[in-house]
Parts: sequence; C-alpha cells; structure tokens
Amino acid sequence: MEKKVLKSKWNLTPEGWNLEGVPSSQDEKRYTQVGRSVPRIDGPIKVKGEAIYTGDMTLPGMVYGKIKRSTYAHAIIKKIDCCKALKLPGVLAVLTGDEAPNKWGIVPQAANETVLAVGKVRFYGEGVAAVAALDEETAEAALELIEVEYEPLPVLLDPFQSMERSQEVLIHEDSKGNIMHAGEQVYGDVDKAFAECEYVLEREFHTNYPQHGFLEPHSALASYDTQNGQLHLWASSQIPHYLHRQMSIVLEIPMNKIRVTLPTIGGGFGGKGEAAPSEFVACLLSRKVGRPVKVVYDRQEVFYTNKGRHPCHMKVKMGLDKDGYIQAVDFDNTLDKGAYSGWGIVVLFYTASMIHLPYKVPNARFRGRSVYTNKPSTGAMRGLGGVQPRWALECLMDEMAEMMGISPYELKLKNAIESGHTCINNMFVPHSEFKKCLETAVKKSGFLEKQGKLPFGKGIGMAGGYYITGTAYTLYQNYKPHTTVMIRVDTEGGVTLLCAAAEIGQGCNTVMAQMVAEELGIQYEDVHVQSGDTEIGAFDLGSFASRLTYAAGAAIKMACVEINQSLKETAAGMLGVRADQLVIKNHEIYSMYEIKKRISWEKAIEVYTSINGTLVGMGNFSPPRRKGIDIISGNRVQGANIGHSPTFGFSSQVHEVEVDVETGRIYVKKVTEAGDCGTPVNPMCVDGQVEGSIMFNIGACLYEDQKLDASGKHLNPNFHDYKTPTTMEMPEMDTNIVESYDHSAPFGVKETGEGAVQPTFPALTNAIYDAIGVRFYTLPITPEMVLKALKDKKEGEL
Amino acid sequence: MFLNHFEYFAPKTPAETLELVACLGSKAKILAGGTDLMVVMKAKAISPDYLIDINGVEEFKGIFCEQGKGAVIGTNTKLAEIQFSEAIQAKYPALAYAAGEVGSSQVRQMASLGGNSCNASPAAETPTPLVAMDAKVVLSSILGERELPLEEFILGVRVLDLAEGEMLTKFVLPEPKLKSACRYAYMGRRDAMEIDCVNMAVTIELEDDGEKVKNIKLVMGSVYPRPLVSKEVTALLVGQKLSDQLIEKAAEAAQGEAKPIDDIRASAEYRREIVKVLARRLIKEAYTDAKGV
Amino acid sequence: MKKLIELDINDRIYEVAIDARDLLIDVIRNKVGLTGSKKGCGDGDCGACTVLIDGKPELSCIKLAIASQGKKITTIEGLVQEGGQLHPIQQAYVDHGAVQCGFCTPGMILSSKALLDRNPDPTEHYIKHELSGNICRCTGYKRIIEAVEAAAKVWSKEGVQ
Ligand SMILES: Cc1cc2nc3c(=O)[nH]c(=O)nc-3n(C[C@H](O)[C@H](O)[C@H](O)COP(=O)(O)OP(=O)(O)OC[C@H]3O[C@@H](n4cnc5c(N)ncnc54)[C@H](O)[C@@H]3O)c2cc1C
Ligand code: FES
Ligand code: FES
Repeated sequence: MEKKVLKSKWNLTPEGWNLEGVPSSQDEKRYTQVGRSVPRIDGPIKVKGEAIYTGDMTLPGMVYGKIKRSTYAHAIIKKIDCCKALKLPGVLAVLTGDEAPNKWGIVPQAANETVLAVGKVRFYGEGVAAVAALDEETAEAALELIEVEYEPLPVLLDPFQSMERSQEVLIHEDSKGNIMHAGEQVYGDVDKAFAECEYVLEREFHTNYPQHGFLEPHSALASYDTQNGQLHLWASSQIPHYLHRQMSIVLEIPMNKIRVTLPTIGGGFGGKGEAAPSEFVACLLSRKVGRPVKVVYDRQEVFYTNKGRHPCHMKVKMGLDKDGYIQAVDFDNTLDKGAYSGWGIVVLFYTASMIHLPYKVPNARFRGRSVYTNKPSTGAMRGLGGVQPRWALECLMDEMAEMMGISPYELKLKNAIESGHTCINNMFVPHSEFKKCLETAVKKSGFLEKQGKLPFGKGIGMAGGYYITGTAYTLYQNYKPHTTVMIRVDTEGGVTLLCAAAEIGQGCNTVMAQMVAEELGIQYEDVHVQSGDTEIGAFDLGSFASRLTYAAGAAIKMACVEINQSLKETAAGMLGVRADQLVIKNHEIYSMYEIKKRISWEKAIEVYTSINGTLVGMGNFSPPRRKGIDIISGNRVQGANIGHSPTFGFSSQVHEVEVDVETGRIYVKKVTEAGDCGTPVNPMCVDGQVEGSIMFNIGACLYEDQKLDASGKHLNPNFHDYKTPTTMEMPEMDTNIVESYDHSAPFGVKETGEGAVQPTFPALTNAIYDAIGVRFYTLPITPEMVLKALKDKKEGEL
Repeated sequence: MFLNHFEYFAPKTPAETLELVACLGSKAKILAGGTDLMVVMKAKAISPDYLIDINGVEEFKGIFCEQGKGAVIGTNTKLAEIQFSEAIQAKYPALAYAAGEVGSSQVRQMASLGGNSCNASPAAETPTPLVAMDAKVVLSSILGERELPLEEFILGVRVLDLAEGEMLTKFVLPEPKLKSACRYAYMGRRDAMEIDCVNMAVTIELEDDGEKVKNIKLVMGSVYPRPLVSKEVTALLVGQKLSDQLIEKAAEAAQGEAKPIDDIRASAEYRREIVKVLARRLIKEAYTDAKGV
Repeated sequence: MKKLIELDINDRIYEVAIDARDLLIDVIRNKVGLTGSKKGCGDGDCGACTVLIDGKPELSCIKLAIASQGKKITTIEGLVQEGGQLHPIQQAYVDHGAVQCGFCTPGMILSSKALLDRNPDPTEHYIKHELSGNICRCTGYKRIIEAVEAAAKVWSKEGVQ
C-alpha cells in the first residue's frame, strides 16, 4: 500500500523548521519517526468495526452476570434472600457481599470498598448481590427475584452537612466526623507575607459533579480455570496491573495465578483507573460456576457507580506585592468524596500541590479535607486534582489583574515560572515553555486587542495551566520501576514491543511504536505492539496521570540500547569495523567513517539470531524520588510528595464567547490554545488530545452535572439529561504546539493528555466575565445563572 | 434492559390496522418510530401486551401538498422527510424547521409526526407549530373518521382525546393565509439532542394594508401540560399595528399565561423568562416575515 | 415463543430465531455476531449503535429486530470496499486522526455516510447538525468534521457509493 504522509505543520517543510531555528535535537533529520503525524496503527481496524472490545467477546460456555443494585443511598442491609432467584431455571449462582469481604481500593492505605455491599449500602445503586445465568434475560429476571430488606439511614449528600451531622450518622464507622482525610501544608510565613501585600483578594469557588462519560460502559469477562486455579480477566480498564493486584486481594489467590488482558478500550478519562465491581463480580462468579462470565454495565449502571470529579468547595486567598508579584496563597478545600475513599488522599493532596505552579508562589498554605457523602465515590477524572484549583486560581488572578488595572496576561506572564524552577514545596521543574504558551495563545487570538473592548455580550478570557507526567506513585508501597518493557527482535516476528501499557484511545500504541522505531532506526510500521496484558508485558502502573509517553519512552530507550549494542557488535564483526563507529538508521547499519561499509539491518538480525536466537532488550523506568519538604525549613510536609513529577507539561487557552443576554445561553465561539508538551511524538495525536480536552471541559463547565434528589437517587443517569457537548457545541479550535524540548526527558517528551483540560474552566469563566461583567464562582454556568446574575447586576446598578 | 414480552402485529393496510386497534384495545400500543415507545418500555414505565407496527402501511405515510389546498401529512411520515421536504420548506417553513430540530438525524429518520403528537409530551417540538398553523388531526376507527383541531386532541401529559379503537391517521394543514407567516423557536441547554425547556410558535396574519394584525396565534410548548394557545396575545394584538412596546406587552402577557414547572431541565422561573424572550423575538420575526410576503 | 426471521445485513441474508421483544442491536451483535455496532447507552442518546436501514441512519438500540425484516441493513462491517479497501469515509477518518478510542467510530462513520449520501457537498453547519446524535468523548469532534469534509471532496470527485 502506498504510504501517505499527511500534511501537517510538523512534517510539511523541513526547511521551514530550520528557518524557525528548531534545536538540532528536534531536527527532523535526526528524528525520523518521532515528531511525525502518522496515522494511528489501530485506525484501520477501528474504522472497519473489527476492533474487539470486551463486550464484543464471547468464550465457549460463557454465561452472564448481572448486579442487583440498592434502591437506597444509605441503609443497613437487614436481609438478602436469594432463594427465589436461585430456583429460576437458568440461574447458576448468586453472590452476596459477605462472600468477598476483603477491602479493595487504589490507595492501599485507605482501601475501604467491597465488591458488593457488606452490611450497609452507602450510595444509591451500590451493588448488593449478583447473579450468573445462562443468558442475559434470565440474569435480569433473577435480579427481580432477589429480595433485599433495608433499614434506611439518614442520607448525607453535602460535605458540610455530612460533617455537621456526623454525631448522628457516620458513613464509615472508622471515619470520625465523616472525614476521610484532612491535611495541612504550610510553606513559609503566609500570614506575614499577606500582611505585607499591596493587593489581597479572597474568594470562594464551588465546582460541580461531572463524570467521564466514556462511551464504552464498564465491561469484564472472566474465565477461571477450576483445574489449575488460573484466572484470566479481560476488562475495559486503564490499569491492568492494579486490577491484577486488587483481584489477588479480593479473591485471595496469588498474583501469579491471575492474568489481566485489555482488549480495545472505549475511553477512560480516569473512570477506568480503578478496579470496578463488574470486574470482581465476573471473576468471583466465574470461580463459583466454573465457566467464563461476562458482565457488561448499562449506561445507568455507569452513572450509579461512576467515580467522577470531586465537587470542591474552595476558599482561595492571594496576595500580590505592589508590582504584582505573588507573595502568598492560602487555599482551603473541602472535597466531596462520595461514599468510598478510592483515589481520595491522592486527590486531596494533588489539589494542594496545584497552587505551586505554573506561577511562582513563595509562601503557601493549604488546608483541606475530603468528606464522605452518600453519593457515588468521586475519583480520578481527566486532570485529577488540578481542574478545580486551577479554575479558582486563574479566575482569582483575572480579578486581581483588574484590581491592579493591568491585563491578566501581564500578571500571569510576570509570575510565570521558567525552566529550572524549584517550588517552595521542593517540586522541581526541569523545563518549561509556559511563557511561550501564554504568548502564543494571546498573540494568535488577539487577546490584548479584544479584552475589555468587545461589545456587551461578547467576551474573551485567558488562563494557563500545567500537569504532571511520569510521576511516582507509592500505590504499591514499593518503589519498583513503574514501567518495564521488553523488545523482542527476530527474523520471524520482526520487532515486537511487549508491555502492559494501556491503550485507552489516547494513542499510546502508535506513539510507542514511533519511539521504538526511532531508537532502532526502522519505521514505525515495522513495530508490533503487544500492550495491556499482565502476562505478556511486565509491570506497568497504568494509563493515568499522563505518565505513559514519558515512562514508556524512558523504558523503550533503555531497552533499545541493549538491542542496538548487540546488533552493532554483530555488524562490526561482519564489516570488520569497530562497533562504536556504527550508526543504525533507516534499516541500515553503517560505519560513520567509511560509509561504504554497511549492511542492512535485517541482515544483521539474521546473523545475530542464527547464532544467539531471539534478541531481547529490557528497559524500565523509575521516577526520580523527590522529598516533599519545605525548602526553607527543610521540614518534611505531610502528603507533599504528591504532585512531584520528573517534568511537567504546560498550556494556555484563550476562549471567546458570545452570551445571549436575553436567554442566558453561552456560545463558545473560538478557542485558541498553545501547549508545551515537550516533543510532540505524534503531533496529530497531540492535537487530538488537546481538542478532546477542550471539549471535555467545555462540557463540564457549561452543561454537565450529576443531579441527585434528596434521597440520593439519580435524576439524570443517562445521556439525555446528562448533557455532554455534541458537534453543535464545538467551537472553532486553533491548537498550537509550542516549540519545546526537555533535555531531561526521553525524546524530550512531556505530556498533553490532561494538561490541556486545565485552562478551560477559567478561560471560559473569564471570557464570560469579559462579555457580561459578571464573575461566576459556581459551576456549571447555566443559562439560568447567567440570567439571574444579569438581573441582580441590573438591580445593583439601579 | 429488556422489553416486556408482547405479541407483535405488522398490518399492511389501514383496514387491517383499524381492525387490530379495535379488537386489541388499550392493551395494545401503536408502534410508529418507536423513539418514545421503546424508551418508555425499556424503562418499564409501560408494558403493553400487543404492539401494532404501522410501518408496513404505505397509506399512513407521505406528504400531499397541493397549491392552494394546504397539505395532508400521513401520521407515520418521518420527521426527516418533513425536514427535507421542499414542499413543506416552502409552504410551512416553521414545521420543516421544527421537525429538523427534533433529537438527532437518526431520531428524525425513525420518528413520525404522529408519534410526536400522540406521545403527548409537553416538550414535543412539532405540536407547537402545528397548533399555530391550525392543523387538524384525523382520527380513524373501524366505525369511521373524525377530524379535530390538534389543540383539542392533546389534552395533557400523555393524555389524548383518543377513544378506544381509534388511532391518528393524518394531519390536515390549512393553506397558509395570504400575508401571513409562522415562526418557531425553542430553547434548551444545547443546540442538539435537546428536550426543550420552552418552545413556541407564532402565526401572524395581516390585514390587506400589510400593517395591521388580522389574526395572531401564539402557541407555547413545555410550559403547560399541553400546547398552550395564548388568548391574551391575540386579544392584545388583533387589529393593531405592532410596535416594540406593544410586542413587549404581548410578550409579558404570554409570560403571565404560562404555567411552567420546575424540573431537572429548568426552573419555572427561567422558563417564564424564556417565554417572554421567545414571544418577543417570534412576534417580531413573524411580523416582519408576514409583511414581506 | 421464538420466531425465525430473515434479516438482510450487508447484502447477506441471516436467518435468526428471535423474540418479538429483541432489539436489533442485540440481534446484530449477539446472534449474527457482527460486533462492529456498539451499545453506548441503549436509550437512543449516543448514536454508537447507528446502522443504516435502507440507507438511512437509525438507532438499532431502540429498534425491534422483528420490525427490520425485509429491509437492507448496513452495519460498519458492510462498508469495506471490494478487495478489503477502506471506504473513502473510513480512510478519511484514519488519515485525519478522527479516531481515538474508536467506540463512537462505527456509528459516526455510518451517520457520516448517510449525510453525504443525502448531500455530497455539505456545509460545516450541515455536517454538525446531522452528526449531533453521535456523541464522541475523545476527539472534540474537530477531526471528525474535517474527515467528513475531506471525504466529501473525494466523493464529489469519484462519485463513491
Ligand atoms: C434520543 C432522542 C431524542 C429525542 N429528542 C426529541 C426532541 O428533541 N423533540 C421532541 O419533540 N421529541 C424528541 N424525542 C422524542 C421522540 O423522538 C418524538 O416524540 C417522536 O416524534 C415520536 O415519534 P415515534 O414515531 O417514534 O413515536 P412512537 O414511539 O412510535 O410512539 C409514541 C407514542 O405514540 C403512540 N402513537 C404513535 N403513532 C400513533 C398513531 N398514529 N395513533 C395513535 N397513537 C400513536 C404510540 O403508541 C406511543 O405511545 C426524542 C427521542 C429520542 C430517543
Ligand atoms: S446505544 Fe443506541 S444510541 Fe446509544
Ligand atoms: S473516539 Fe472515543 S468516543 Fe469517539
């Protein structure tokens, strides 16, 4: 097939590159695979409908599992009677919570979730029992026959109410005050700094309760081999190895008897970044009935069990000196945790870490608490822990710029960090093009010419943001390498990358193939990627926290060193030159001094394998460890490791809106974005991530919110009333990748999967302010709120 | 989520259909596009014993539009057909527009005009402009037919003036009057896939002078259990030349008549606000249009 | 009581035993075994289950299988051209990066085909309007619109069916 090279700004003109002064390290002449907008390797099977997702699979003898769900948000389970269900022909087994009482959870110290409720339900729709039956109809019918007796308890839906009424009701017996965790971090002398500030402003911000809305519902297929005790689970997950470990804990079988395989995954956005009851139920039922069991949620179940974004109730205070330099930030955050802890502690402290970047903050204080409520647990959702504080801080800065009478751009640029910055909490930023992001977005959008000058109803707003990549997680209570890859090269299979990274749609398989090809001097099409399997691939933490490109990149580089060395040695022998004089490029191995001395790469492989057999390279990545300390006092600060990252991605957005001042409808007209993602391994994928991110958070800023009635029952557990953006809501999008190369990172890469969601809320909120002169401190910003605010404003002016 | 078990009939002719409707009675439901029916059945809100699928009956489909003679639209004419029909676009643009704003392209391909009215949801798109155009429905049974203004057919939320054994077979639209225009608009949170929080249609007919209002009909959706025809707007504006002040007064009158409720989609207060805005805009637009005709 | 019916899917007749209540999506996926059509919501709200019925896009999750007899049903598997070539729309989706997780893709492509069949020279607004029933959470839609525009160009040049 003819190879199509797509026209994009990145591979269009190599000349153009040099004219613009691209660093030689990024020169296309050096990178032939990395930096190209090649089409995704899984594109064709996906457009043909041939990609296999978990729900598409069937195994011989497979039966179906379904979960009975609670009709109370908070209640003691008095009795579960499954007799009638068991008698229904076709029903093979039922399962209740006490059969698998071991607690699971992504943060081992705080794991407190069970597969099905044990003794008590804590949110509406929590699983209370499950059935396995020959077909789905029977399984569904059996659920109706399970009788559950509840003793309702008071339902707490708001974190403040939950703390207030904790004397009377506890959601978890061991969590006093209904507080999952509370923490404080103090750096420097915040009060003193405020006292000396010229400008001080404090505001309260409240965020909403959106969820991921990935299109593929949770699905799991488990096959337990009763003879040898092996369990094989196929699941729509972002975290094969975590899942693997949780399975081992809950099923009490050793990890080496469990295999987790990811088929194609239909999106995750963090929502598949924890284990899901569907997965446990499939495994437990399979073990019980000795046959493969498939559990596929319907959309309603996804809503009931979703681990969406924490509603945050934030008080933020910022102080600037007379020149506008930030002197102190005081941040108080109450997070709505929902029913179980999940990612809780991590998210709590992520929100804390977000005040330290992307602006220089010499004094900072955080106080926060994550509070249990009778809602689905909140968890990781695109830009975990960042989106809420980013919104608050960037909006606050917008307001402070106005206080000072300068443009928010000026204020932000003035305070923006640069490469080599160490934050007060000891977070280190090896490289940053954040200023370039601000400049590019502002310039390209004409922000300065427009802000404050557009007619009433039209507005423009800007914001910056950043995110972590390749960061360390102590979730295994162990600092083993966070990613290990193996590359196998031989005459039969060519080049195969074996790993457990999770391709959830973000394009990591393509990007990894490009990186392998780059290092080995071949084409990305030559690389087979076997990912997402705990048996084929060695340990990988999972696809979250925008860690994959960085982590896999480092591990791939390391693995390729071994392979290249072996090949060079083989070729050296054949060519009669020294191995260290050889270059591998474009499928050839040649001497850099005598270019006539060359052999084809394939030939070298053939010779190598005929002597040694298959060539294998292993590589791994361990994130550097940095202590969370106050760099002035040197004191260790609780939770302050969280947020540290080997490097960070940065971005900036400018939003232009039109507000229909009669109806309150907000129309996002144009978004100009500039991002520093390091080297864009595949610029087309980067743009796709960024565009997706922007729409994702436009949705959460204007439309999306999960609503519950007073009893905790969902009012909109469907896409009809939970409104995600459609094509009609899409603004014009101008995304720009700023030139960037992080010398501390493999291939100079950073991240783009979650950084780009960060500036969306504040840029949009600031644009609305510019349009109608009203600042909003609550999300989502609905037409009703706009109308009401306009009315109040008018009355105020009278 | 499975549907309940039911017996399925697919009649081929109107006579067969009416026969089935007569003998199966209230235990049966007519299946047109199913875009409402399937959803409520999945939610187990209703569990009919019989479904009568009318998609095999050609006579229930089609748009018959003759110069000077209004139009007749079969109950099972798909909304997409109405959306794209050049005849409807030319003669009843408000209807073509409303049909094109229902759900999504797939929904419009499946959903029927009759289903949209028979579903009797206060938020439905097309009944509003249809009432504004003085559309009538034809209800048929084995005993014969009767014709009824659409506004008298839809009585409340999921309540119709439909006797047992009867079904809706077609809509009869009068020819638009000379010097008249009809306009439709809706408001929701998104611009697609939206259950309207308010929708509205206005028909204005002018006197020969092309200035004074001879007749005006303003119909509101989603603010009352059924399409609500404003009495006050008609009373205020008939015989008048319209000015901004007068229009504002009329819009406020419409606002006063609306009896919306609070629900997850919008508050009653917001809906009332929107009634005023839409009324103001639509009266102006329809007035300008009518003058231009 | 199950009934034997015939469904014409992608120009092949499948004989399947079904209940009257069976939905087309479940029959296509589970009984016929064509799993390219996806179920994202089951309520008509996401478009992942879109199939073409007599060339027009319909939602197979709210469509009875029994009511689909005697019609030409096209699923994503039916779009591949002779010799396994991708349909120009499929090719455009691949080339323009309009696919990420791919779960919305089959439905999205079929809706794209239907809109281009009706109007081979669409405006951007028209494309958006007709694709608004297909939710995509990954791409932000931009590349999808671009892919449809690109396919339209090929279409008008080559007159693809
Ligand atoms: C995703 C989605 C989005 C939607 N968006 C909108 C929207 O934006 N605006 C809107 O108005 N609606 C919307 N709807 C609702 C629905 O599509 C419309 O109401 C549609 O017009 C119903 O037509 P149908 O042919 O599908 O009706 P069906 O579902 O077949 O029937 C609806 C009801 O009417 C009865 N019925 C049908 N025909 C007759 C007849 N001839 N005589 C007597 N009774 C009859 C049926 O028995 C049933 O009770 C949406 C639905 C979905 C699934
Ligand atoms: S699955 Fe049919 S529309 Fe979502
Ligand atoms: S590509 Fe994932 S939903 Fe569209």
